Amino acid sequence: MAENQIQAYLRVLKRQFWIRGITDPESLAEVESHLLESVEAGMCQGLSVQEAEQQALERFGAVNIVVRTFEREGKDGMQKLLLALAVLMGFLIAYVDSRPTWDDTGITAGMMLLSSGLLTLLGYRRPWVIALAVGLWTPFYEMYLSGNFRLPGVILFPLLILLITSMGAYTGWAVRLGIRKTLNLA
Amino acid sequence: MYVVGETLKGHLDLLLLAILSEGPAHGYAVIESLRMRSEGVFDLPEGTIYPALHRLENQGLLSSQWSEDSGRRKRIYQLTPTGQKALTTHQAEWLKFSKAINTTVGI
Repeated sequence: MAENQIQAYLRVLKRQFWIRGITDPESLAEVESHLLESVEAGMCQGLSVQEAEQQALERFGAVNIVVRTFEREGKDGMQKLLLALAVLMGFLIAYVDSRPTWDDTGITAGMMLLSSGLLTLLGYRRPWVIALAVGLWTPFYEMYLSGNFRLPGVILFPLLILLITSMGAYTGWAVRLGIRKTLNLA
Repeated sequence: MYVVGETLKGHLDLLLLAILSEGPAHGYAVIESLRMRSEGVFDLPEGTIYPALHRLENQGLLSSQWSEDSGRRKRIYQLTPTGQKALTTHQAEWLKFSKAINTTVGI
Protein backbone atom coordinates (compact mmCIF):
# COMPACT_ATOMS: atom_id res chain seq x y z
CA MET A 1 0.00 0.00 0.00
CA ALA A 2 1.34 3.43 -0.97
CA GLU A 3 2.36 5.78 1.77
CA ASN A 4 0.11 8.84 2.12
CA GLN A 5 1.38 12.36 2.80
CA ILE A 6 0.74 12.13 6.53
CA GLN A 7 2.60 8.83 6.85
CA ALA A 8 5.51 10.23 4.84
CA TYR A 9 5.63 13.33 7.05
CA LEU A 10 5.54 11.22 10.22
CA ARG A 11 8.30 8.98 8.92
CA VAL A 12 10.59 11.96 8.28
CA LEU A 13 9.62 13.54 11.60
CA LYS A 14 10.37 10.32 13.47
CA ARG A 15 13.77 10.05 11.81
CA GLN A 16 14.61 13.66 12.65
CA PHE A 17 13.44 13.22 16.23
CA TRP A 18 15.75 10.24 16.55
CA ILE A 19 18.69 12.00 14.93
CA ARG A 20 18.30 15.03 17.17
CA GLY A 21 17.93 12.99 20.33
CA ILE A 22 14.22 13.63 20.88
CA THR A 23 13.03 10.31 22.17
CA ASP A 24 9.59 10.95 23.57
CA PRO A 25 7.21 8.52 21.79
CA GLU A 26 4.19 10.42 23.12
CA SER A 27 5.14 13.47 21.08
CA LEU A 28 4.98 11.53 17.85
CA ALA A 29 1.66 9.92 18.82
CA GLU A 30 0.30 13.36 19.61
CA VAL A 31 1.44 14.76 16.27
CA GLU A 32 -0.18 11.83 14.46
CA SER A 33 -3.44 12.29 16.32
CA HIS A 34 -3.41 16.02 15.51
CA LEU A 35 -2.75 15.49 11.81
CA LEU A 36 -5.46 12.86 11.45
CA GLU A 37 -7.97 15.13 13.15
CA SER A 38 -6.90 17.99 10.93
CA VAL A 39 -7.36 15.85 7.81
CA GLU A 40 -10.84 14.84 9.00
CA ALA A 41 -11.74 18.49 9.54
CA GLY A 42 -10.51 19.36 6.05
CA MET A 43 -12.61 16.58 4.53
CA CYS A 44 -15.65 17.83 6.43
CA GLN A 45 -15.09 21.18 4.70
CA GLY A 46 -15.37 19.42 1.35
CA LEU A 47 -11.70 18.88 0.52
CA SER A 48 -10.50 15.67 -1.08
CA VAL A 49 -8.28 13.36 0.98
CA GLN A 50 -5.14 14.63 -0.76
CA GLU A 51 -6.16 18.28 -0.36
CA ALA A 52 -7.07 17.75 3.29
CA GLU A 53 -3.73 16.07 3.96
CA GLN A 54 -1.86 18.86 2.22
CA GLN A 55 -3.74 21.52 4.18
CA ALA A 56 -3.13 19.69 7.46
CA LEU A 57 0.60 19.49 6.78
CA GLU A 58 0.86 23.12 5.65
CA ARG A 59 -0.84 24.25 8.84
CA PHE A 60 1.28 21.99 10.99
CA GLY A 61 4.53 23.37 9.64
CA ALA A 62 7.60 22.09 7.84
CA VAL A 63 9.40 19.21 9.55
CA ASN A 64 12.57 21.21 10.17
CA ILE A 65 10.67 24.04 11.88
CA VAL A 66 8.68 21.65 14.05
CA VAL A 67 11.73 19.62 15.03
CA ARG A 68 13.74 22.72 15.85
CA THR A 69 10.96 23.92 18.15
CA PHE A 70 10.75 20.52 19.83
CA GLU A 71 14.51 20.54 20.18
CA ARG A 72 14.49 23.97 21.77
CA GLU A 73 11.50 23.61 24.02
CA GLY A 74 10.64 19.98 24.29
CA LYS A 75 11.45 17.38 26.86
CA ASP A 76 15.14 16.82 26.95
CA GLY A 77 15.44 13.45 28.60
CA MET A 78 18.00 12.20 26.08
CA GLN A 79 20.29 15.16 26.75
CA LYS A 80 20.09 14.59 30.50
CA LEU A 81 20.76 10.89 30.06
CA LEU A 82 23.81 11.52 27.86
CA LEU A 83 25.17 14.06 30.32
CA ALA A 84 24.68 11.63 33.20
CA LEU A 85 26.49 8.98 31.16
CA ALA A 86 29.34 11.42 30.50
CA VAL A 87 29.74 12.10 34.21
CA LEU A 88 29.61 8.37 34.96
CA MET A 89 32.15 7.57 32.25
CA GLY A 90 34.45 10.32 33.51
CA PHE A 91 34.22 9.02 37.03
CA LEU A 92 34.82 5.40 35.99
CA ILE A 93 37.86 6.34 33.91
CA ALA A 94 39.23 8.38 36.81
CA TYR A 95 38.67 5.48 39.21
CA VAL A 96 40.35 2.91 36.95
CA ASP A 97 43.20 5.30 36.21
CA SER A 98 43.80 5.83 39.92
CA ARG A 99 44.25 2.10 40.68
CA PRO A 100 47.86 1.29 41.63
CA THR A 101 47.87 -1.69 39.25
CA TRP A 102 46.79 0.47 36.27
CA ASP A 103 49.59 2.11 34.40
CA ASP A 104 48.36 2.18 30.80
CA THR A 105 47.94 5.88 30.08
CA GLY A 106 47.32 5.21 26.40
CA ILE A 107 44.21 3.17 27.11
CA THR A 108 42.97 5.82 29.56
CA ALA A 109 43.40 8.53 26.93
CA GLY A 110 41.76 6.32 24.30
CA MET A 111 38.77 5.66 26.56
CA MET A 112 38.36 9.39 27.13
CA LEU A 113 38.57 10.13 23.43
CA LEU A 114 36.13 7.38 22.50
CA SER A 115 33.54 8.04 25.19
CA SER A 116 33.49 11.80 24.51
CA GLY A 117 33.13 11.18 20.79
CA LEU A 118 30.42 8.57 21.22
CA LEU A 119 28.32 10.77 23.50
CA THR A 120 28.22 13.68 21.05
CA LEU A 121 27.74 11.31 18.14
CA LEU A 122 24.68 9.95 19.94
CA GLY A 123 23.19 13.41 20.07
CA TYR A 124 24.51 15.51 22.93
CA ARG A 125 24.40 19.00 21.53
CA ARG A 126 27.16 20.80 23.45
CA PRO A 127 30.56 19.15 22.94
CA TRP A 128 32.35 21.36 25.46
CA VAL A 129 30.03 20.14 28.23
CA ILE A 130 30.83 16.53 27.37
CA ALA A 131 34.56 17.33 27.27
CA LEU A 132 34.35 18.78 30.78
CA ALA A 133 32.05 16.05 32.15
CA VAL A 134 34.28 13.23 30.91
CA GLY A 135 37.63 14.91 31.40
CA LEU A 136 37.57 16.79 34.68
CA TRP A 137 37.39 13.82 37.04
CA THR A 138 40.72 12.19 36.23
CA PRO A 139 43.13 15.09 36.87
CA PHE A 140 41.38 16.33 39.98
CA TYR A 141 40.94 12.86 41.45
CA GLU A 142 44.59 12.12 40.84
CA MET A 143 45.69 15.44 42.32
CA TYR A 144 43.40 14.81 45.30
CA LEU A 145 44.90 11.37 45.88
CA SER A 146 48.51 12.55 45.51
CA GLY A 147 47.92 15.82 47.36
CA ASN A 148 49.90 17.54 44.64
CA PHE A 149 48.25 20.82 43.69
CA ARG A 150 51.44 22.58 42.62
CA LEU A 151 51.90 24.64 39.47
CA PRO A 152 52.25 24.02 36.59
CA GLY A 153 50.76 20.52 36.93
CA VAL A 154 47.53 21.76 38.46
CA ILE A 155 46.89 23.70 35.24
CA LEU A 156 48.66 21.65 32.58
CA PHE A 157 47.37 18.20 33.54
CA PRO A 158 43.66 19.14 33.36
CA LEU A 159 44.30 21.13 30.17
CA LEU A 160 45.97 18.16 28.50
CA ILE A 161 43.09 15.87 29.41
CA LEU A 162 40.50 18.44 28.33
CA LEU A 163 42.32 18.66 25.01
CA ILE A 164 41.84 14.92 24.53
CA THR A 165 38.17 14.90 25.55
CA SER A 166 37.50 18.02 23.46
CA MET A 167 39.04 16.33 20.42
CA GLY A 168 36.77 13.35 20.94
CA ALA A 169 33.65 15.39 21.67
CA TYR A 170 34.07 17.77 18.74
CA THR A 171 34.92 14.91 16.37
CA GLY A 172 31.72 13.07 17.34
CA TRP A 173 29.76 16.30 17.01
CA ALA A 174 31.25 17.03 13.57
CA VAL A 175 30.55 13.50 12.34
CA ARG A 176 26.97 13.84 13.52
CA LEU A 177 26.58 17.17 11.74
CA GLY A 178 28.06 15.59 8.61
CA ILE A 179 25.54 12.75 8.77
CA ARG A 180 22.68 15.22 9.19
CA LYS A 181 23.90 17.30 6.30
CA THR A 182 24.32 14.25 4.09
CA LEU A 183 20.76 13.21 4.88
CA ASN A 184 19.67 16.81 4.26
CA LEU A 185 18.43 17.19 7.81
CA ALA A 186 20.50 20.12 9.01
CA MET B 1 -2.73 40.75 9.24
CA TYR B 2 -0.91 37.79 10.73
CA VAL B 3 1.13 37.88 13.92
CA VAL B 4 3.84 35.33 13.61
CA GLY B 5 7.17 34.17 14.95
CA GLU B 6 8.96 36.03 17.67
CA THR B 7 6.17 38.59 18.19
CA LEU B 8 3.69 35.94 19.22
CA LYS B 9 6.14 33.59 20.86
CA GLY B 10 6.77 35.95 23.74
CA HIS B 11 3.10 35.83 24.66
CA LEU B 12 2.36 32.24 23.79
CA ASP B 13 2.41 31.01 27.39
CA LEU B 14 -0.24 33.55 28.38
CA LEU B 15 -2.41 32.63 25.39
CA LEU B 16 -2.18 28.89 26.01
CA LEU B 17 -2.83 29.21 29.73
CA ALA B 18 -5.79 31.51 29.06
CA ILE B 19 -7.37 29.07 26.62
CA LEU B 20 -6.89 26.15 28.99
CA SER B 21 -8.28 28.13 31.93
CA GLU B 22 -11.70 27.57 30.37
CA GLY B 23 -11.41 23.83 30.64
CA PRO B 24 -9.31 20.82 29.63
CA ALA B 25 -8.62 20.47 25.92
CA HIS B 26 -6.39 18.56 23.55
CA GLY B 27 -3.76 20.25 21.40
CA TYR B 28 -5.88 20.45 18.27
CA ALA B 29 -8.72 22.15 20.15
CA VAL B 30 -6.29 24.58 21.81
CA ILE B 31 -4.87 25.55 18.42
CA GLU B 32 -8.31 25.91 16.85
CA SER B 33 -9.40 28.07 19.75
CA LEU B 34 -6.29 30.22 19.39
CA ARG B 35 -7.01 30.71 15.70
CA MET B 36 -10.73 31.39 16.10
CA ARG B 37 -10.46 33.75 19.03
CA SER B 38 -7.82 35.81 17.30
CA GLU B 39 -9.85 35.70 14.07
CA GLY B 40 -6.88 34.18 12.28
CA VAL B 41 -4.40 36.83 13.42
CA PHE B 42 -2.34 34.44 15.54
CA ASP B 43 -1.02 32.16 12.87
CA LEU B 44 1.81 29.93 14.07
CA PRO B 45 2.70 26.58 12.54
CA GLU B 46 0.52 24.22 14.58
CA GLY B 47 3.41 21.88 15.22
CA THR B 48 5.25 24.54 17.20
CA ILE B 49 2.45 24.73 19.79
CA TYR B 50 3.04 21.22 21.14
CA PRO B 51 6.58 21.82 22.43
CA ALA B 52 5.23 24.88 24.25
CA LEU B 53 2.47 22.79 25.81
CA HIS B 54 5.06 20.19 26.86
CA ARG B 55 7.28 22.87 28.35
CA LEU B 56 4.38 24.28 30.36
CA GLU B 57 3.64 20.76 31.56
CA ASN B 58 7.27 20.26 32.57
CA GLN B 59 7.06 23.50 34.51
CA GLY B 60 4.04 22.14 36.36
CA LEU B 61 1.66 24.71 34.91
CA LEU B 62 -0.29 22.09 32.96
CA SER B 63 -1.01 18.42 33.45
CA SER B 64 -1.97 16.00 30.73
CA GLN B 65 -3.50 12.60 30.30
CA TRP B 66 -4.37 10.45 27.33
CA SER B 67 -7.98 9.64 26.61
CA GLU B 68 -9.84 7.97 23.79
CA ASP B 69 -12.38 9.89 21.76
CA SER B 70 -14.09 8.58 18.61
CA GLY B 71 -11.56 5.77 18.41
CA ARG B 72 -8.59 8.14 18.51
CA ARG B 73 -6.20 8.69 21.39
CA LYS B 74 -5.92 12.31 22.44
CA ARG B 75 -3.69 13.97 24.99
CA ILE B 76 -5.84 16.25 27.10
CA TYR B 77 -4.19 19.22 28.81
CA GLN B 78 -5.48 20.84 31.94
CA LEU B 79 -4.43 23.88 33.93
CA THR B 80 -2.93 23.07 37.35
CA PRO B 81 -3.37 25.31 40.40
CA THR B 82 0.20 26.56 39.77
CA GLY B 83 -0.78 27.25 36.18
CA GLN B 84 -3.79 29.24 37.36
CA LYS B 85 -1.50 31.39 39.53
CA ALA B 86 0.93 31.84 36.63
CA LEU B 87 -1.95 32.90 34.40
CA THR B 88 -3.02 35.55 36.91
CA THR B 89 0.56 36.85 37.04
CA HIS B 90 0.90 36.84 33.23
CA GLN B 91 -2.42 38.64 32.87
CA ALA B 92 -1.37 41.36 35.31
CA GLU B 93 1.96 41.78 33.50
CA TRP B 94 0.22 41.95 30.14
CA LEU B 95 -2.24 44.56 31.39
CA LYS B 96 0.60 46.72 32.66
CA PHE B 97 2.61 46.23 29.47
CA SER B 98 -0.25 46.90 27.06
CA LYS B 99 -1.33 49.96 29.06
CA ALA B 100 2.19 51.34 28.84
CA ILE B 101 2.37 50.69 25.09
CA ASN B 102 -1.04 52.27 24.48
CA THR B 103 -0.12 55.33 26.50
CA THR B 104 3.20 55.66 24.71
CA VAL B 105 1.81 55.39 21.20
CA GLY B 106 -1.20 57.54 22.06
CA ILE B 107 -4.07 55.10 21.63
